[in-house]
Amino acid sequence: MSIFIISSDAREIEENIAEKVAEAMGYTFLNRGTLAAVAAKYQIDAGKLSEAIETTPSLFKKLPARQWRYYLACVEADVLENLMADNIVCQGLAAHLYVTGVSHAMKVRVLSGNRRGIQAIVEKRGISLQKAEKWLATELLQRKKWSLAAYNYDETDLTRYDLVINLDQIDPAEAVKTITGAAEYRKFQVMTYSMKCLSDLALAAKVNSALLQSMEDIRVQARDGSVVVLTTISNSFSSIRATASFGF
Amino acid sequence: MSIITISRGSSSMGKAVAEQVAQKLNYQLISREVLLDASNRFNVPEIKLEKAIHDAPRILEKYRHSKQSYIAYFRSSLVERVIGGNVVYHGLAGHLLLKGIPHVLKVRINADMERRVAIVMKRDKIPAPDARARILEDDKQRRKWTQSLYDQDPWDTSLYDLTICIDKLSVENAVDYICLAAGTEEFKSSEKNVRKAKDMSVACRVKASLVEEFPNISVTCDYGNVLIYMKGRDHMIGKLSKKLNNIRENISGIHHLETHAGVEPPPDAV
Repeated sequence: MSIFIISSDAREIEENIAEKVAEAMGYTFLNRGTLAAVAAKYQIDAGKLSEAIETTPSLFKKLPARQWRYYLACVEADVLENLMADNIVCQGLAAHLYVTGVSHAMKVRVLSGNRRGIQAIVEKRGISLQKAEKWLATELLQRKKWSLAAYNYDETDLTRYDLVINLDQIDPAEAVKTITGAAEYRKFQVMTYSMKCLSDLALAAKVNSALLQSMEDIRVQARDGSVVVLTTISNSFSSIRATASFGF
Repeated sequence: MSIITISRGSSSMGKAVAEQVAQKLNYQLISREVLLDASNRFNVPEIKLEKAIHDAPRILEKYRHSKQSYIAYFRSSLVERVIGGNVVYHGLAGHLLLKGIPHVLKVRINADMERRVAIVMKRDKIPAPDARARILEDDKQRRKWTQSLYDQDPWDTSLYDLTICIDKLSVENAVDYICLAAGTEEFKSSEKNVRKAKDMSVACRVKASLVEEFPNISVTCDYGNVLIYMKGRDHMIGKLSKKLNNIRENISGIHHLETHAGVEPPPDAV
């Protein structure tokens, strides 16, 4: 096993479980702490970058769609590059939405459950129970909206995950044990093919982030090191789909 | 002494998982037996019970309330069957019908659609489009059934403690996960949990004995104290009161019996 991607409906729970899984496995922990490095690498504003992975584009917030897409592409490219290093627990960087088709990446969703999740929010934020319930509901709606806008996937659709654990009755420590137990499963071992899929994803993301600096409305795919860029060129009469292929 | 329910879409390998879990833990495996129990106990044809717990209610059925009766019978039989613990149930709606018993480990098995299509094609010897249509129709019925009776979506995985996707994870991996979870403290049958299960069994039996005549009642039971909640009119309440002696005599485990008319039942009422 080399990659655990952990997400949750409650940030506090997500961080806690991911950190414990990394600790138990002795894996590298990749979380939002990496955003400062991404900002420095791509010479973008770190504050704006954090905002981009939290909110949808808005002129009111001075975050236009084009810039938002570029920021997300930078994060994606950097995260995928990091994941190539193997033995990583990733959290808080939306990797569950863009790491697709990589068999050695296990996607886990941890549901906070009403009892434990809301209690964790009450403790961490020092707010009342009612406020915590309202906060969690708003946060869930916001995350759903964000995931659909960013990757056209509903992150609350739980059929997208390999394993979903509800903490209503299962203790977080048991959840950590359950997740780490998968490390030995044959299907999650790194294989040449799964590594190739990941490196294709990383390559496509790298090209995408480079092109989004000056272009928009593009779709980049990579296969066996060959990159295909799809874009739509419009004129007043028709739309032409132009495909350019590059060998790497 | 855990109770495990395994829900799944059709052809999602849930049965194979349930069988292996039962074998590994040396638990009793139940599914259709509950239908037979309910059919014998309440003298209802098995086919009608099966339809009631599988198909969504049609418009007229919503007014005839027959489906509520069949579900109450089925639920009562299911609770009776699982109350002793050490059991794996892999039939319909276990996660909803056993809601309220704390030590029930609710598991959902999902499988990739292509894998499901392949299973149905092989099993029923039909082409892929027919197999896909059959699966989608079955999923639609499940969804409608749960939504119409419980106002919940069966694909809402927050209803389950553990949801496992049989795609990258194998049946054996799923079995390991379930056995591991079943062994944790939360799902062991403490004295308190067993008492709650027994109370639920009493509530289910009271409801099953009344539901045909009083389809809108809800029942709770706490330490053997049974409360019957009723929305009906005065003459219905009078009619219900006459039945109470009969219930006291025929259902064991009742210490005290009360009716509450015009009071909203609590969410955990059956």
